[in-house]
Formats: sequence, C-alpha cells, structure tokens
Amino acid sequence: MIDPTVVNLSRLQFALTALYHFQFVPLTLGLSFILAAMETVYVITGKQIYKDMTLFWGKLFGINFAIGVATGLTMEFEFGTNWSMYSHFVGDVFGTPLAIEGLMAFFMESTFVGLMFFGWDRLSKPAHLAVTYIVALASNLSALWILIANGFMQDPAGARFDPTTMRMQFKSFSALVFSPDAQAKFVHTSIAGYVSGAMFVMGISAYYLLRKQHREFAARSFRIAALFGLISTLAVVTLGDALGRMDDLLQPTKLAAMEGLWHSAKGPAAPWKLFALPDDAKQRDAFSIGIPYVLTPLVAHEWNTTIPGIYALERAAKAKTVSGIKAIIALKSFGASHDPAALAAFRKHENDMGYGFLAQRYAPDQNLSAITPALLPAVLAKTARASIPNVFVEFWSFRIMVGLGVAFIVVFAFGAYYSLKNELEKHPLVMKAAMLAIPLPILACEFGWVTAENGRQPWTVYGWLPTFQSASSHGIGYMIFSLVGFVLLYSLFIAAELYLMFKYARLGPGEHAVQPKPLPVPARPVFGQPGYANKPWQ
Amino acid sequence: MKDLVKFGALAIVLLTALLLAVVAGDYGPWYFAWLVGTTMIVLIAVSSAVLFETQEANSLAAHKEPVR
Repeated sequence: MIDPTVVNLSRLQFALTALYHFQFVPLTLGLSFILAAMETVYVITGKQIYKDMTLFWGKLFGINFAIGVATGLTMEFEFGTNWSMYSHFVGDVFGTPLAIEGLMAFFMESTFVGLMFFGWDRLSKPAHLAVTYIVALASNLSALWILIANGFMQDPAGARFDPTTMRMQFKSFSALVFSPDAQAKFVHTSIAGYVSGAMFVMGISAYYLLRKQHREFAARSFRIAALFGLISTLAVVTLGDALGRMDDLLQPTKLAAMEGLWHSAKGPAAPWKLFALPDDAKQRDAFSIGIPYVLTPLVAHEWNTTIPGIYALERAAKAKTVSGIKAIIALKSFGASHDPAALAAFRKHENDMGYGFLAQRYAPDQNLSAITPALLPAVLAKTARASIPNVFVEFWSFRIMVGLGVAFIVVFAFGAYYSLKNELEKHPLVMKAAMLAIPLPILACEFGWVTAENGRQPWTVYGWLPTFQSASSHGIGYMIFSLVGFVLLYSLFIAAELYLMFKYARLGPGEHAVQPKPLPVPARPVFGQPGYANKPWQ
Repeated sequence: MKDLVKFGALAIVLLTALLLAVVAGDYGPWYFAWLVGTTMIVLIAVSSAVLFETQEANSLAAHKEPVR
C-alpha cells in the first residue's frame, strides 16, 4: 500500500496548487465578459471613455491572465507525477476533456488574447469587439472542459470499468459532456467568476470615487460592475441550489456532511442547521442551532422526502462493502484464470467495486480473501466510517461560501441601487463595503472548491476509486521537497501579482488611457520592405 | 452580391444558434441556461451604461450635478 503520509502530502500539494491557481481563474472568467460589455458600449456609443475603460481593466485582466496560465499548467503535470495510479485507472476518460481544453479552448484563448491587446489599431471596431467576445468565450470554454473532467470525478458518467484492461474505458462522450453534475458545476463556477470580476471592478472604482479620483471613469465602471454583479450573484445562488439537488441525488454522503446530518431528516419539519459544531470523532454535534421547515424544501424541493443522514449512509455502505468485496475477489479470480464464471460474478457486483477497494485498507495484509467471518464486522464498520467525508470541514466551508454569497447580494444591490439613483457619492459606506469586499468572492470560490472536493472524499472517482489507492509511490522526502518548492515559487508569483495589481490600480486609468501614437501602416507588408531581411527588428 | 453574402452569413449564424439552442436545450439545459444567462448579464450591464449616458445627458441639460 502507498504510504498514507505520501498520500496526504500528495493531497496537500494538489489542494495548495489548485487553490492557488483558483485565485486567478475567477477574475479571468468574469473580467473577460465585463471587458466585452465595456467595449460593446464603446462600439455602440463611440465614447472614448469606454475604450479607456476597456484598456485599463484589460491591463489588469492581462496581469491576472498571465499568472493564472502559469499556475494552471503545473496541475496537469501533477496528475501524472503525483497521481499516476489515478491517471492509469481513468486516464482514457479523464484525459480527453483535458486534451480538448488544451487544444481547443486554451489555444483559442491564447491566440485571441494577443489580438485583443495588440489589435486596437489593426482591427476595425466590430472586429476587435468580436475578438474580445471570443477571448471571453474561450476563457469560459477552457473552464468548461476542466469542469467536465472534474464532473467525471464527482459522477463518473460515460465510462465503464473494463476487467481485462483494469481501467475505466469510454462508453459515451456525450454522457460525459452532458453529465448533469458537470453542467451545473460549470455554470455555477463560471458565474461565480463573473461575481469575482464584478466585485473587483466595483471595489477599485469605489476606491477612486472615495478618493475623488478619475470620477467619470469610476462612476461608469461602478455602474456596469454593479449591475453585472447583481444579476450574476442571483444566478450563482440558483446554480448553487441546483448543485445541492445534484448532490442529494448523486453524492448523498457529501450532502449529509454539508448539512451536518447525523440522523436522517424526515420532512417537512426537519431543521436546517444554521450553526453547529460537528464532532467527527464522536459523530454528533457538540452544539447546534437549526431553523425548522427549511431543510427538506431547500434540499429536495419537496415537503415530505427523507434525506438520509450519516448513520443511514454508513449502514448502506456496509451492504455495498459486502458486495464490493465479492466484486474484487471475482476480479482477481478473472485476472488469474479468465474464467467466464468469475467475470459473471464480477459483473453482478461491479457497481460496488469501489467499496471493495476501500475495504482493502482494513483487510489483513490488504487481502480481501483473508477476511474471516470474525473479522468481517470490524472491516465493514471501518470501511463504512471511512466512506464519510470530514463533516466539520464540509459543514463550515459550505456555510462560509453561502454566507459570503448572501453578503454579495447585499453589496451589489445597494451599489446598483445608489448608482442607478445617481446618489453613490452620498453613501460612502456602500463604496467602502465594495472596496473591502474585493477579495471575498475569490475566497468564496476557494471555499466552494473545498466543499466540492472534501465532500468527494474518500474517493478520487466517486464510488469507484479511493484516494489512498490513487497516488504515486513517491518517497516522503521527494514530496516534501516538491511541496516546499511549490510554496516558495508560488509565493513569488503571488507577490508579483499583488505588486503589479496594486501598482496599476493605484496609478489609475489616467496613465493608461493615453493611447500611444498609432504605428504608421506600411504601404506594403513589412516583410516586403527593403532591408527587412537584414533588420527584421525594424 | 455583397448583400446576398451578408444575408447568407447571417442565415448561417441564425441556423447555428437555433441548432445550438435545440441541442443544448434537449441535452444540456444548464449549458443552455449559461448561454442565455451570460448574454442577458452582458446586455443588462451594457444597458446600464447606456442609461448612465442618458441620465448624464439629462442632468447636463437640466444644469444639474452630473451623474455619479
């Protein structure tokens, strides 16, 4: 078995790099469409100030985009270096959306982002606007394919385990792409990015307005961001509700942990826990406050449904483990003999195979065949307990995300209301709130990812492959070395990002709105000019 | 001829949009919601800016303090 410390270090490394990368992604997703909106106004009205706005916010978008790309690449390598067992098991399926992301969305995004930055004097207004929209679309398409890959880890649709190759094989590409989990996750994540972008623009604009700087520029930017953010926040809440419903149907252990449900909740009076201190060791709450008649309609969209709690899910996991152990024993037998009877036995218990893998950790010498009737109850109890994610982390990461989302609605609503009434500068409190809230949507996104990924535990592929069997068999020293390297390197990146962001945000649009003189357009292509071959830099 | 090409191009865009709507609506309702929702969010943001200019123009015409 892979050393549990190595597995935990691999998890820590991936979590750190993923959470670090996702500090940049939401701004890219959101700012790109805000730039498109600003440029649309420029094309419609012809007012120079909207071009200046597009240029200024575009510069901040560019800084964020560059560091976001640099930090995203390492994660794809980590699948191979730190999660090689996982990559072997699901590589055929999981690798496909990642490859499409690189070949289609990322190339499209990278190509057109150059045109967006350097094409102002080369393209007509409508053509440049089209380019900006393509950048926004490509940024979000990039997120789409990543989230389809992540959706497969949450709900492995479109694939089936092949006992001959011992890997998950593709069965349906459309089932993978149109998986309900992937769909809801993509829209939720993408629009959470819009909220982050809008808060960023609104907060910096509020900073200018409070300091009475760049007022024409800031008032317009604030207006666009406030409306963009308000509608986006409402959409994020809607999609969050859809994802919760999805978890109820596809990942009941995640949902039970999110809601801190130890006992099954029978509708309609079941309380929704507003505050609780879940104790994972004792499997009960040290303290809780709930609001009755909220949980069932909130989660199931019905009044009389029973939502399974952790105790019930552990009982169900025991039954699945018994079936899973039979599947793994049959699989081993089939691997050794290619006996059709063993294959038929495997197929009968195939859907619970993951629980058999999970039980291996608690079997003598990890050999499921060595589990005696006397040992079986202990193995089943340990496996069932292991099938539940950490409730405290799940409960609170979910609540922090939701609480922040509610706060955003208030900030955007007041911002939009006073901006529309032309009374923004009479309410400095709203502007201060907007300014202070700049990092909060990104924090909410991070807690969203913790909710999604902690809730998926103990699986890398929900119900099929346990995390402890997915890692590479590195040494502890190697893992610590690479982890320290990432922390040092990424600390430099974040310092560079913050320095540049603060520098250009403080400088403001005045220094950027001035357009450089357009380069003289040569009468014939530069390549054809005399002396070009000798002086290509000219 | 130029108008015909323009008409043909717009017809292709329209057909693609319809096809996308039918496929996304049937198989990917949330993807469809994203397409429609993002368009709506951008359009509302654009409208809010256009409204800002109208309000500013009205304020200036009425010799009031400009919009903030």
